[in-house]
Amino acid sequence: MKLYLLPSDKILDFVAKLSEDGLVFYPVSEDDKTHLVKFDKDKEFEPDFEKVRTAENIKHFLFPSRAVVAKFPKDTAVKAKKQYLFGIKNCDLRGVDIYDRVFLNAEPVDPLYKKKRENTILISADCPEPEDCCFCNLVGLNPYAEAVCDLNFTKIDSGLLFEAFTKKGEKIIDDNSALFKEATKEDEKERSRIRKNAVKKLNKINEKPFKEDLAERLEKVDEKFKHEIREDCVECFACLHACPTCYCFLLSDYKKGKEFERVRTWDVCYYAAYARVGGGANPRSSLDERFWNRFLCKFDYFKAYEGIYSCSGCGRCYRGCSAKIDIREILWKL
Amino acid sequence: MEAVNPYYSIPVKIKKIIPETSNITTFILDGMPIQFEAGQFAELTVPGVGEAPFTPSSSPHGDDLEFTIMKVGRVTSALFELKEGDQVGVRGPFGKPYPLKEFKGKEIFIVGGGVGFAPLRSLFLALLHNIKDYKKIYIRYGARTPNDIVYKHLIPEWEKIDGVDILLTVDVGDDSWQGKVGVVTVILDEIPVDVASSPAIVCGPPLMMKFVTQRLVEAGFKHSNIYLSMEKNMSCGIGKCNHCRVGKFYVCKDGPVLTWEDVKDIEEPFL
Ligand SMILES: Cc1cc2nc3c(=O)[nH]c(=O)nc-3n(C[C@H](O)[C@H](O)[C@H](O)COP(=O)(O)OP(=O)(O)OC[C@H]3O[C@@H](n4cnc5c(N)ncnc54)[C@H](O)[C@@H]3O)c2cc1C
Ligand code: SF4
Ligand code: SF4
Ligand code: SF4
Ligand code: FES
Repeated sequence: MKLYLLPSDKILDFVAKLSEDGLVFYPVSEDDKTHLVKFDKDKEFEPDFEKVRTAENIKHFLFPSRAVVAKFPKDTAVKAKKQYLFGIKNCDLRGVDIYDRVFLNAEPVDPLYKKKRENTILISADCPEPEDCCFCNLVGLNPYAEAVCDLNFTKIDSGLLFEAFTKKGEKIIDDNSALFKEATKEDEKERSRIRKNAVKKLNKINEKPFKEDLAERLEKVDEKFKHEIREDCVECFACLHACPTCYCFLLSDYKKGKEFERVRTWDVCYYAAYARVGGGANPRSSLDERFWNRFLCKFDYFKAYEGIYSCSGCGRCYRGCSAKIDIREILWKL
Repeated sequence: MEAVNPYYSIPVKIKKIIPETSNITTFILDGMPIQFEAGQFAELTVPGVGEAPFTPSSSPHGDDLEFTIMKVGRVTSALFELKEGDQVGVRGPFGKPYPLKEFKGKEIFIVGGGVGFAPLRSLFLALLHNIKDYKKIYIRYGARTPNDIVYKHLIPEWEKIDGVDILLTVDVGDDSWQGKVGVVTVILDEIPVDVASSPAIVCGPPLMMKFVTQRLVEAGFKHSNIYLSMEKNMSCGIGKCNHCRVGKFYVCKDGPVLTWEDVKDIEEPFL
């Protein structure tokens, strides 16, 4: 593992350089939240790399809420602009990991996702200060990247301490070597300190791990439990739309003159019509069943297929929930 | 290289439209836009309206792709408005075929209800293609009334084939009907096959699937030998959108045919 230091006074130069090659998105603070904004060399650059993940989920950048995926009768090739996601967090990388597994690694490949993914450079940042909504440690993650990204950095006193994870990432460092310094042992120690502290904080927020046999427990719950845990739910669907690991979608066709377009939109399993079949029969007609489906999807089935939970512990579902339903609390109860 | 677009539908013309019953019609398309095996399905598009999943009803070895479709909702209604020569789109094939290799040398017991005969016809024609490979083919089919029987003109021909045994029933008879009357289970009282080794293949409306499965289990068919067509909501057809999932199975990828062994622990698998 080799570390590179980007001194504080070179961060803007680096980002400006990247922006010559593609769009760069980076987090800025507003009130108590951060949002990813597009870098503009003529505007102020005041990034915030220390807060937790952005309020919005980042799947928009790879899996937009609405996208044309095919045309008829003649198809056209998909296009995607080059983009740098600069300073996203490890939980969001879990989202990308899940999308990669579904749209890239499982046949058939999704051409639009592939194109977008190839044109996206993931530059993640450590989380020094986990918040009460965060539980990435419960789903097998640390508050810093260990895979999936191209580059990761830790904000230390003197600048950003980078580590490369892919060839793409290494090339970016090479191409900009004039801006970087070789990191010292002290820099590395500072990084370890920051990371240890973050892990400690997280472990304090989430003292109880999920049970080893979570899947079996999920399958065994009774009707009463399913009803009680969702009683406060007002079906606003914020939890699923805000979720960076939900990937359900729906295809619909729209006329465009003599041709038509096939449009892919996000879908969520809490919609009453989600599982309804022709003629009207519905295997998940009750909200109790639909609500529970999300838990089975994320913590039972996906784990069975891929060996990981399709949840990143980002806590967006809890933050966005009108009823303040915390899925951790539900999973701890099992 | 660009990945092949799995969301793209191949345009193809409707060659012939054959009404089967008051609400079921067979659409014969012009040629074979996709190569499928019996049991696999495809997404059929009405341009600009949308798509829906159907299992071809024609032989995988035939020249033209056929679907036999019941009018139930938005897409199927739009399809029924189309005329011969109009264009539709086809995407597929998806899912797993029937394991014909495992059926070799056995008696094949096919049970259908209503429009559920459509995929079974494709299976039947695939079996006929190599009929010597199988000991005997039994078809048990139930419809609501004599008018609701699909492939009325083909069945008498099939009955004449050596090694094929067909029994029909209707829920409600009429003056012309001389056959059995009663739900499909009335023609399952007697099961003339070796239940220990034979596969039973079932397709029909949910309630019929439920009762037929019960009867077959009772009769002693192996749970892993009872093949059931699962109708679930589908969108992508390629194991990504999540819509068709039932328990741990993706019906579009692991199915659309699953065995009773696969689904028996799922609450209300046919709903
Ligand atoms: C593998 C498989 C094989 C099949 N084979 C056959 C066959 O051979 N023959 C046959 O007749 N049938 C077959 N079916 C059933 C057939 O797919 C349905 O009858 C068909 O999907 C009905 O479509 P529809 O739009 O007409 O019905 P609808 O009842 O209008 O809709 C069906 C589904 O689409 C949803 N939907 C409808 N409109 C909208 C909208 N505007 N926005 C969002 N969602 C909407 C509904 O919620 C419902 O879930 C098969 C099904 C499967 C899964
Ligand atoms: S379920 Fe909640 S915590 Fe898990 S990834 Fe989705 S929004 Fe984040
Ligand atoms: S099934 Fe539900 S929980 Fe699972 S990805 Fe789809 S919307 Fe999310
Ligand atoms: S955000 Fe909360 S209230 Fe809204 S659908 Fe999700 S659980 Fe229900
Ligand atoms: S239809 Fe989309 S996953 Fe099966």
